Amino acid sequence: MEALVRSYGKGLTAVFAGLVALWIILMIVVPQVTMIDRAFTYQDRGGETAMLAIEIDRAYTKRFQLEQQVQRAQNAADAEPGASAPSVSAPSATPSIGAPAATTPSAGGLPQPSAGGAANQEIDVEALEAEIATLTAKIEELESQEDLSSGEAGMKATYSLKNFTTMSGIHFQIFVMTLLYAFCVTILSFLICYPVAFVIATTTNRNRLALMMLGLVIPYAINELLRIFSWIMILEKNGILNTFLNFIGIIDIDAGEGIRFVASNGAVFTVMVYAYVLFMVFPIYNTIDTLDKNQIEAARDLGASAWKIHTRVVIPHAKPGIAVGSIMTFMLSAGSIAVPEIVGRGLHPDWFSQLIYRRFFEADSWNQGSAYSLALLIACIVFIFATMAIFKVGIRDIAK
Amino acid sequence: MSVATRTDPMGVETGAQPRADRDWANAILGGYVVVFFAVMFLPLLFMVAAAFNASPTPSVTDWQGFTLRWFRELPNDQRMIQGLWHSLLIAAGVIVISIPFGLSGAFILTRMRSRGSSLLYTVLVSPVLVPGIILGVTTMIFWRDFFGVQAGLFTAMAAQSSFIASYCMLMFMARLQRQDRVLEEAALDLGASPFMVFRRITLPFLMPTILTACVIAFLQSIENYNTTFFAIGGSWTLVTEIGSRMRFGLSPMINAIGVIFVAITIIVAITHTLVTRKRA
Repeated sequence: MEALVRSYGKGLTAVFAGLVALWIILMIVVPQVTMIDRAFTYQDRGGETAMLAIEIDRAYTKRFQLEQQVQRAQNAADAEPGASAPSVSAPSATPSIGAPAATTPSAGGLPQPSAGGAANQEIDVEALEAEIATLTAKIEELESQEDLSSGEAGMKATYSLKNFTTMSGIHFQIFVMTLLYAFCVTILSFLICYPVAFVIATTTNRNRLALMMLGLVIPYAINELLRIFSWIMILEKNGILNTFLNFIGIIDIDAGEGIRFVASNGAVFTVMVYAYVLFMVFPIYNTIDTLDKNQIEAARDLGASAWKIHTRVVIPHAKPGIAVGSIMTFMLSAGSIAVPEIVGRGLHPDWFSQLIYRRFFEADSWNQGSAYSLALLIACIVFIFATMAIFKVGIRDIAK
Repeated sequence: MSVATRTDPMGVETGAQPRADRDWANAILGGYVVVFFAVMFLPLLFMVAAAFNASPTPSVTDWQGFTLRWFRELPNDQRMIQGLWHSLLIAAGVIVISIPFGLSGAFILTRMRSRGSSLLYTVLVSPVLVPGIILGVTTMIFWRDFFGVQAGLFTAMAAQSSFIASYCMLMFMARLQRQDRVLEEAALDLGASPFMVFRRITLPFLMPTILTACVIAFLQSIENYNTTFFAIGGSWTLVTEIGSRMRFGLSPMINAIGVIFVAITIIVAITHTLVTRKRA
């Protein structure tokens, strides 16, 4: 700290420290803590909230029925030959409390016997409308109650592990499969990348090097979604791959033999490797690039086989790069939402990130969504530490 | 490639691999790299080609004639234009937030030599190592629970900034580690105030990196999907809009946008390569 104050002065140091503190508090630590807090906060949805929801549903149904009655009454009034002018336009003049009532098609189809006469019905309608108004008020009140109880995490909630333990068997299976797939994507990416990184790092021809670097940078910089999209065109039923298979005579598209590659596990896996492979190339290239190439020559001259050169000279040197590449690839594929959403088309078995999305935005169960996110986060942290331990690299080597 | 057996007469006797073997190995390796690049680029080429196909579903196999129609339709697509506007707004915010945060973090970490620095470093780079969807989720929850801010453009910007600031910080740290302190020390000894030194020496030294960081932050923000998808709530950016279009079926308009992205990327990449080569 003294070194800081000495070089930048008290004022600037305070500014830097303040900004970093803001960054940590507002963007890193407190948001994470909030998520963790929610993950361990269990809200008994079977209890009060559910009762509220049922009550709200009932109120809505009741209101809908009343509105239909109003409509029917008014229609009947319209059907009355002696009905006065104002009531002709009555249906459209009905205060638009609920949208469904205005579009009820059956209303006109059920003419009421006009026994009571127009005046009597007017009263009826008024009474019904008053009832609708009270119901509307009640619904509003109930809904605000519901908002309160689901919005305030701490209200009726208790700390427990239930958000995790209530994870269904299928969800847990998806969790495990996602991690397994991500792990396979990582391994495969490494196997694909290593030779490429090695060739580029050991190229002596400057023009060729520049060209190959461009060849890496361009697909890397192109948006992930577009790279995924380009593969859909290939894998689709009328896509390029099927056309090619048709052309060489393996399948017959016209006979409907086109293979649906999209929305299969294989497609998701392939596209994922394609989308994230480049995150592996760059770190490995960067580390091999710093290796003194004379070491390779020396090993070769001393009679090392190609295998030995790589396992004893190049890979040990490239360890930090391999670690970074593996962490990035694993993290990206385990947390990928774009590939399973777009390639999977909702038909492919779920990816864990999709489950998280649905917990939040479809099931509206933020606490369980938080629990799922936390599970994914912990899995990634475990992977990071395991990789660091295996490759014996520190955090400073990793994020470079 | 035929590396000097002539200048190295000991080559064969010391047990080095026979040259023919090595040539074979190099040929296979070279072929492999060519295949690798072909696989990297072919899908993109297909995508670009389909943007000019008159067929209403993106395809290169079913060629119905050259057209620019899909490009002409883009400016009329209100949601896309609105999305682009949102993206630019978010990106501007991300730059404004990430650069000062990244700079502060870099200054503190490069000058701090205490035990706490390792922990601080870990905390500050952690957003880079965490899956993007988790950043999106945590930001969304945090702003709603604490300040009642609903998910939208602001939360998307906050979520993106959390990790883009880390990237910026890493870039600034790399630059600061190469800084020669002598200049700063000399200025201080000659009576310049620390603020003066910072403004006249440190900032100008960092300026090129700050500009690069702005460009990188901008691109990262525009291109981000995972984090934004979770943090943006009911709003949308260009990329999340593209994503939702892709889920509901393919349109050559996506290809047209793709062509624009690819063109911009290639221009930036080539310019960058030329500039760095000139400097080297």
